[in-house]
Amino acid sequence: MKKIKVLSILLITAVFVISCKDQLDVKNPNQPVSSSINTENNIAALGLGIYAAGFRGLKYGGFQGQFANDVLSYHEIMGDVIGVEAANVYINQLGMPDVVTLDNASQVLNPATPNTQVALLRVINKNSYADQNPVYYEWAYMYALNNSCNAILKNVDGITYTGDADAKKNTLKAWAYWWKGYAYSRIGSMYYAGIITSEPYPGVLNNNYVSKDAMIAEANANLDNAATALNAITTVADYTKMINNLTPTIFPTPPTIAMWLANINTMKARNLLVNKKANLMTPADWNTILTLTNSGITASTRVFKALSNATGDFMSATGGTVALVAAADPSSVSFKVSERLIQDFKPGDKRLTNNFSNAVTGGVWLGNSDRGNIFNTRYKLLNNSSGVGPAGAGVAVLANRTAGSGEFYIGPSYEENELMKAEAKMYTSDLAGGLASVDAVRTFQGAGLAATPVVDLPTSLEELRKERRIGLAFRGLAFYDARRWGVIDPVSSGGGRSKAVVVDKTGHVNTNAVINYNFLDYWDVPDNEIVYNPPSSTSAPTSNPRSN
Amino acid sequence: MRKILQLKIVVVLMLFTSVAWSQTRTVSGKVTSSDDGAPTPGVNVMVKGTTNGTTTDADGKYTLSVPDAGGALIFSFIGLKTEEINIGEQAIIDVQLKLDITQLSEIVVTGTGVATEKKKLAIAVESVTADKLPAAPTASIDQALIGKIAGAQISSVDGTPGANINILLRGVNTINRGTNPMILVNGVQMGATNLNSIDLSTIERVEVVQGAAAATIYGAQGANGVIQLFTKKGKSGKLNIDISSGISQNELLNIGGVGQAKYHNFATDANGNIVDGSGNPITLDTNNTMAYTGNVVYNALDPVGQFNKPYVGNLPYIDQFKRYLVGANTVNNSISLSGGGAKSDFSISVSNNHQQSNFKGDGYNDRTNFTTNLGFEVIKGLELRSITQLVYTKNTINFFNQPGYGGGSVIYNLLNTRPFADYDAKDVDGNYGYRLGDAAGVNGRNPNYRYQFSNRNDNKVDIFQNFMATYKFAKFVELSAKYGLNYQTEEDRNLVNNQSAVKNAVSSGAFVSIYNGTNQGEITTFSNKTVFQNFIASATGVVDFEKDLKLNIPIKSTTLVTFDYRKNNFTQYYTYGLNLPTFTPFNASQANTFKVVSDYKEPFVTYGYLINQRFDYGDVAGVSGGFRSDYSSAFGLGSKPFTFPRGDAYFRLSALKFWDNSGLASRILEFKLRAAFGKAGIQPRPFDRYQTLGTRVLGGATSLYYTAAQSNPSLNVEVSSEYEFGTDIVIDLLKGDWLKNLNLSATYWNRTTDNAIYDVDDAPSSGVGTVKSNAFSLASHGLQLSLNMPILSNSKFNWNLTTNFSKQYSEITSVTNNGQVVVLSNAGSSNYVLRAGEAVGQLYGYKLLTKVDQTDPNGNPYIAPASQANYSVASNGYVVNNASKQPLGTTDLYSLGNSFPKFNMSFINDVTFMNFLSFSVQFDWVYKSHLYNQTKSWMYRDGISKDYEKPITINGETGAWTAFYRGVYQAGANNGTKDYFYEDATFLRLRNISAGVDFAKLFKLPAFRKLQLVLSGRNLLTVTKYTGFDPEVSSGPSNTSASSSAINTSAPGRTSNSAFDRGVDHSTLPNYRSYQATLNIGF
Repeated sequence: MKKIKVLSILLITAVFVISCKDQLDVKNPNQPVSSSINTENNIAALGLGIYAAGFRGLKYGGFQGQFANDVLSYHEIMGDVIGVEAANVYINQLGMPDVVTLDNASQVLNPATPNTQVALLRVINKNSYADQNPVYYEWAYMYALNNSCNAILKNVDGITYTGDADAKKNTLKAWAYWWKGYAYSRIGSMYYAGIITSEPYPGVLNNNYVSKDAMIAEANANLDNAATALNAITTVADYTKMINNLTPTIFPTPPTIAMWLANINTMKARNLLVNKKANLMTPADWNTILTLTNSGITASTRVFKALSNATGDFMSATGGTVALVAAADPSSVSFKVSERLIQDFKPGDKRLTNNFSNAVTGGVWLGNSDRGNIFNTRYKLLNNSSGVGPAGAGVAVLANRTAGSGEFYIGPSYEENELMKAEAKMYTSDLAGGLASVDAVRTFQGAGLAATPVVDLPTSLEELRKERRIGLAFRGLAFYDARRWGVIDPVSSGGGRSKAVVVDKTGHVNTNAVINYNFLDYWDVPDNEIVYNPPSSTSAPTSNPRSN
Repeated sequence: MRKILQLKIVVVLMLFTSVAWSQTRTVSGKVTSSDDGAPTPGVNVMVKGTTNGTTTDADGKYTLSVPDAGGALIFSFIGLKTEEINIGEQAIIDVQLKLDITQLSEIVVTGTGVATEKKKLAIAVESVTADKLPAAPTASIDQALIGKIAGAQISSVDGTPGANINILLRGVNTINRGTNPMILVNGVQMGATNLNSIDLSTIERVEVVQGAAAATIYGAQGANGVIQLFTKKGKSGKLNIDISSGISQNELLNIGGVGQAKYHNFATDANGNIVDGSGNPITLDTNNTMAYTGNVVYNALDPVGQFNKPYVGNLPYIDQFKRYLVGANTVNNSISLSGGGAKSDFSISVSNNHQQSNFKGDGYNDRTNFTTNLGFEVIKGLELRSITQLVYTKNTINFFNQPGYGGGSVIYNLLNTRPFADYDAKDVDGNYGYRLGDAAGVNGRNPNYRYQFSNRNDNKVDIFQNFMATYKFAKFVELSAKYGLNYQTEEDRNLVNNQSAVKNAVSSGAFVSIYNGTNQGEITTFSNKTVFQNFIASATGVVDFEKDLKLNIPIKSTTLVTFDYRKNNFTQYYTYGLNLPTFTPFNASQANTFKVVSDYKEPFVTYGYLINQRFDYGDVAGVSGGFRSDYSSAFGLGSKPFTFPRGDAYFRLSALKFWDNSGLASRILEFKLRAAFGKAGIQPRPFDRYQTLGTRVLGGATSLYYTAAQSNPSLNVEVSSEYEFGTDIVIDLLKGDWLKNLNLSATYWNRTTDNAIYDVDDAPSSGVGTVKSNAFSLASHGLQLSLNMPILSNSKFNWNLTTNFSKQYSEITSVTNNGQVVVLSNAGSSNYVLRAGEAVGQLYGYKLLTKVDQTDPNGNPYIAPASQANYSVASNGYVVNNASKQPLGTTDLYSLGNSFPKFNMSFINDVTFMNFLSFSVQFDWVYKSHLYNQTKSWMYRDGISKDYEKPITINGETGAWTAFYRGVYQAGANNGTKDYFYEDATFLRLRNISAGVDFAKLFKLPAFRKLQLVLSGRNLLTVTKYTGFDPEVSSGPSNTSASSSAINTSAPGRTSNSAFDRGVDHSTLPNYRSYQATLNIGF
């Protein structure tokens, strides 16, 4: 009897053990696995995923948390479109000039430690600074974007498609090459060196770093590949089906094939323009830009843009972009409007009255002077939540915090194309044509300004400078311009900005200040990369030789 | 049940030990406890040298036939000192049994599987009985364990009601999963319910095994050690009713005197009014913006700036701490009924703990426990037991005040608010302002506003049901089966009102929200559910070679075979509804934007079997060995099981003949040497091996992408190997009442972990951020000592002193590819770096120079010799620039140290007088622990710390120079981690003091079994040099793996026990000092 009991218990136990074995096969019921990229719809989802991988969500959070409001804020801070008091990720120090000479000749030094931006970047570009290293972000976003593109390219040919398979494949290829080109363009336009890699994760790291110029060349090669793929498409209906899959509601209507080709041309023009000092551009360079921009984006070309929505899928309504973050009283937002942006408006520009107000709390906003030296401001960016500002309909709105109305120009725009064209025309002796393009942008944005008369090249270039500052404000191009115009160079080398409006720490408004920014032109490769992927002996230098 | 089993083993053994005597007369009597005089049922009464014996009944009475002449009776009971009484001519023998202070007869089961006397243990097992556990105001078991377990570091790291404690048993053995030990209750794992939900009054005793050598029997989940709780059960006899009611007053500690400066250096007008940039006195605009009309004008780096202006004029000084950190009450009530008959016992109790938050206007944590323990002997040898615990916890403490919130909590906001900001002010509509402008402080937010516009209702239900069956055959074998179902469901609902009509919310763009980017309110619900099941079947075989096999060797063999099965199902469902109506009442269905933030399931199954064989040679020595083999869903289907071996041995020299003969026996009553070896594991998280793609909804379509944190299909279990050596010694000290003897238990342990898992950084160009890897090897060693001494013991007075000591050190011995892993913390900006050769949780930072000619690691001076004349050493010892008055930081990063203490000790005094007066005192001493005082660093940044008032002399000039203090913040790098804020957090704390009088015994009140008034205090005194609120706190989260798919937004209590992030104080709520009065009534 007892033996039977013992045996039965042992038997039950044994059965239990055997039946347990199947239970071990627990899969993650929450997420798909990578082998699921095997259908047309799923690879399209991977294509759409470039927005998730490349523009939001890294291992570190940053300050605002996304590409459009973090990385682009660094550009706008160093381009003196906005100022920041917040010290998160050292962004206030990214924008601190070495010296500001006020109207009374007194000098306000960079109050931080270390007290130059160049030295700061060397101190904080360390792997151990983790999320506090601003150098990390653009690099990491763009390589995450590149990875998504590599995964698309690896899988695109092995999948069965409905309809014209080649059209759909080429659409996906164009998509991948375009964003790969975009990623490399940004890397080559910001860092002293980069990495070219076509291996999707988990691949082998490439430790052969190449120069920034080689990165730009590779970027253009990828943009050309995108164009080749687009040109090979014969069934437009299947192109449209696929591109619509890649463009859900929070993105405006996607471009046609021709429009996309125009976007590519404008992007290539940007790559040339922003990576060469303006005074080093050759006539051939300007002609290349003319050629590209003439087949670039027009006023009716649809571009790569994202919209806010209430659930913040891609960007939140109130903080998804630099402008959206900035759009309130300076005492209540992290990004403050720069006095130097305001001073670049021409008198009577409706875009100023439509988007900015000097009715700030206390009449002037003064930050803690131990945190910066140029962020004090009398202006705020308005939230035009109705879509129409004080200057009325038809005038450009920079910030609209209503869900669905916030905009982020991911790629180039009509204004950028037209202003590149304007600059190329001016430098190729077509001042009238150049100014006409400037005026066209002003008209497009509803500035309400009279046509600009032709005087000479310097005044034309000044009109162009102002329009690039105003017409392209908050689009992440300000630092590129400051760099190519030499504004970030030391005053001793002919750089800096004079006749600047600066509100000093006592609230006094200086109008003839000299700002010696002295910022690093191309950032070193982030230490976060170097530590885990040390450069090979044949690599290009990974840090900018500038030491002060 | 284990005790019963053990008793039976003892009885069985005794039955076999001797020869029968003729029986011709009867002796009877009553056995009582010397502790409280109560009858003691179940005591073994044996005629010495025979198998003749009985046990006492429910009234402690016995009757026994004895030989007609001579002989002696032996009275024995677990935990009580065995008494031997010569019968002589007596017919009635009443005995009082004393507590066995050597505790070597104590029986433990944890880590052994089979009930074992402590004197025959080859491993260190710590145990504490309920009467030694102080009734902390939380009335929960977790707080009561602090200081009680020799070898362990248990600390109360957050004073928020409902917060968890940090438990570190032996070393840091994993980085992936924190230091949480496994919790067993009556032999079954409690896998869903938090330790802090368990009502202290239901616990009878606690056993702790700390090392892998003991925890091998728990296999792939045992490496962090095991804490086992045993709940109270009824004793046969009459019905016992116990009622307890207590109230305590709690106030937050501020040991270091953290405070806000009473002076300032803002620009002022002639009348001392603080003015804005336009020179106008700043006022609070209650008509329009509910914010200050401008920002203060202040340059902290001004070399002549001093904090020397009093707050006179427009903006008077407000003591923000005094206003918002208030005393709070805790009320505890419990009632329990227990009793039993010959074949059954029962215990039922209900208790409630209600603890108010220490923030003015905040909510409370309210916990109700219902516990039953029912046992039946169905047929002879078959015992069934059912233990049920139901816990209902309601928490209304504001969302932002939960443990681990650090940077967003109310205390953070107060610390970062300038002392003139008037948060009690209301606008003309009667609303508070949330952010009163930059003048109030860059990061300051108004707690009143939070309470006005948001509230939280977190409801949690825990069910823990255990069923157990034990069948004991007449000989050799005992079978047992246990099943535990632990269920926890929590719904944490946060309601944020629509604030679109609130002046300040509109004007300042600052409003309360969790997910909403606008001021239109939200209803956010965090639902978590865990269903955890544990089934254990075991068979124990005992063979006594002498008795059972008639072999002439005193060997006993004990064989344990166990199978156990664990299944966990965790689900998470988080939703929000945004943009609420302005009318009331409303619910989420009226919101206009709705989103499911997380819909997540985490199934997990593991099972394994254990075989352990033990041989004891009489009382002298024993050896055991075995292994455990585990399967797990975290290893994947078809993967091989992981097998963990173990072995141990003990040798009691004091049980040898020569010991008795040598005379040593009169001085050293017990001398045992023991050694053990074992391996135990820590499983990967359930999905660590499953590579998946991330998904993100983008405007109505769902995208796929490679997430930043990647899992790794080739992960292995983290295996911790340990050996320990120990000794248990009892020394006879003095004759008489004082210092009769000394019990020492000492264990040295050494362990290593291979394959410790962590999210190792990958180069960004790979396209991802981190990849899970078996990246680390860890090594730890330590010493644990427990010293127990009766200082004074006589029939009236008992004074016992226990000293617990723990010393441990854990370091990283290797990292994959010789790499470095950066882990995030709140310590300045340099974070922790995990790398080979350093302690776990090492902080790196800048040093402030203390010598003008100080040199860097290469021997070069930090200040060029030509410039050194521009610097001097200030009166506080730091090098400063004479012109700027700023200190100077090194440009190199130095290892500052780590948080783990060099050792920690507890001194516990228990005193009883007669049977009615009791007194106890516990001191905890934590030596050379360190904290990075990030709280202070942030207060330095904005010039809020009262340190700014301290004058210092720089180059002959004395003043409260703001440039120095602000300069500290930015020396090296702004917010860079630096030695200035890295502080010694050594402390000595009067953890517990209590005095109780039992009026029932004092006045011999017949109606009461007990009528005891206890006055107690907790954390009444702390001695430390630490300058923050409380040297015991730590801000580290439990979210030690960035890649866990589960969102850790809510779930209070899941915020402790990080393996490495234990050394930062970042606006963490300090513990509180409490005064408590409790009335205990027993019938």
